[in-house]
Amino acid sequence: MRRLFADRLVLATGAIVILMSILFALSRIAG
Amino acid sequence: MHLLYSLRGVGWLVVYLLFILAPLFALLTGSHPPARNFWTEFSVALGYSGLAMMGLQFGLTARFRYVTEPWGEDVIYHFHRQISLMAVGLVVAHPVILIAVQPELLAPSNMLDAPLSAYFAFLSIFSVIALVVAALWRVALKIMYETWHLSHIALALTAVIAGVVHMVGSSFYLVDPWKRALWIGLTVFWIALLLYVRVVKPLFMLRRPYRVAEVRKERGDTTTLVMQPVGHPGFRFSPGQFGWLTLWGSPFGITGHPFSFSSSAAATDGRVEMTIRNLGDFTSRIPKVPVGQRVYLDGPYGAFTTGNPADMHVLIAGGIGVTPMMSMIRTLADQSDKRPVVLLYGVQDWESITFREALEALKARLDLTIVYVISRPPTGWRGEKGFIDAAMFKRHLPPPYADHEYFICGPNVMMDAIEKALGKMDVPMSKYHSERYSFV
Repeated sequence: MRRLFADRLVLATGAIVILMSILFALSRIAG
Repeated sequence: MHLLYSLRGVGWLVVYLLFILAPLFALLTGSHPPARNFWTEFSVALGYSGLAMMGLQFGLTARFRYVTEPWGEDVIYHFHRQISLMAVGLVVAHPVILIAVQPELLAPSNMLDAPLSAYFAFLSIFSVIALVVAALWRVALKIMYETWHLSHIALALTAVIAGVVHMVGSSFYLVDPWKRALWIGLTVFWIALLLYVRVVKPLFMLRRPYRVAEVRKERGDTTTLVMQPVGHPGFRFSPGQFGWLTLWGSPFGITGHPFSFSSSAAATDGRVEMTIRNLGDFTSRIPKVPVGQRVYLDGPYGAFTTGNPADMHVLIAGGIGVTPMMSMIRTLADQSDKRPVVLLYGVQDWESITFREALEALKARLDLTIVYVISRPPTGWRGEKGFIDAAMFKRHLPPPYADHEYFICGPNVMMDAIEKALGKMDVPMSKYHSERYSFV
């Protein structure tokens, strides 16, 4: 169960990083 | 204590995310060239953050006790493995998106005229792919643990250094000297984390050696090493914790192996015992260790230890997973503890029950009930047969089941099945603790 929790943390971290990368790209093209 | 641990865990998670995202968003400050299209900028952001995640992998395995305590070492290593797949995915997505947006990058003329930094990108990506393949299929590829570990570190270092050289060489975002300094400084920090565990810690261990005082044969092709500190008081550990043992060579080698302590944590002379089953690899040499051999121990580690004294402790062990339980039982006996303890102990056959006599003797000093669950029982065996399951809990434990604390250590298949069974019995996650001994 703790490993399942760790798996969810991995997914959450990945999602945050991808979202932040989108934000980074949007802020770049928005100037 | 539990709340404090949770807060510390969340705190470290925030720090982890900051170390990935702050260097990325720092690129938006200062001067930078005009933006390209969305997909190119997105792919660059993925490359930067993926590389930062890979660099932080050195921190996850740096054995900082203060960081790993709230989670448990096995969970940290699990996270290390899973997040590496995520990081590699992000790093590989960077060139894939770039090529999808600009297919002409693959044209032979462009390939031949590619700048040197592009070759470093190729080297970085090749290294991360090789690293993941070796890590996921080490056993299937029959790579020895020691060889794999050495190549793992070398590939990780190559991937990170080549990645940063590519970034600095491309120089698109790192035009400002301070941004270059930030990313080079980060790389130095990641490598320092590796040096901490590979140089600083071994230096400390070198000054605190142990000697093998006794080599004791146990049932089930298993051996106990009794180790005494030489010229220092040793360390205190909590029952259930483990240490990294370096048996041959210096502590600077890639030869440390994690084993649970099996002795009582109440011992005051610094003596520690590790009980190791012959699994055919490095462990097959354990019975041949001579008394007097100099060894090195790095520890203690792990969050798997006795809980609330008011709760019944249910220890569920599969095979050699009994070692941390033995440390708990011996410690509780030495402390004249009154809490009821039930040991559900899954074994193959009656003759190979490691610690059988010692466990039976400990019943006289502790409120201890032992239930042997034998998969190949002898003729006439009237006890539990097969594998530990939820029905056995109901036969041997008093309800309400959610009031007890459960400690599980054994093969992954057994642990998954038991964690699932406890979930079905409405035992909250905070009431059970797992230790996966195959975490490396």
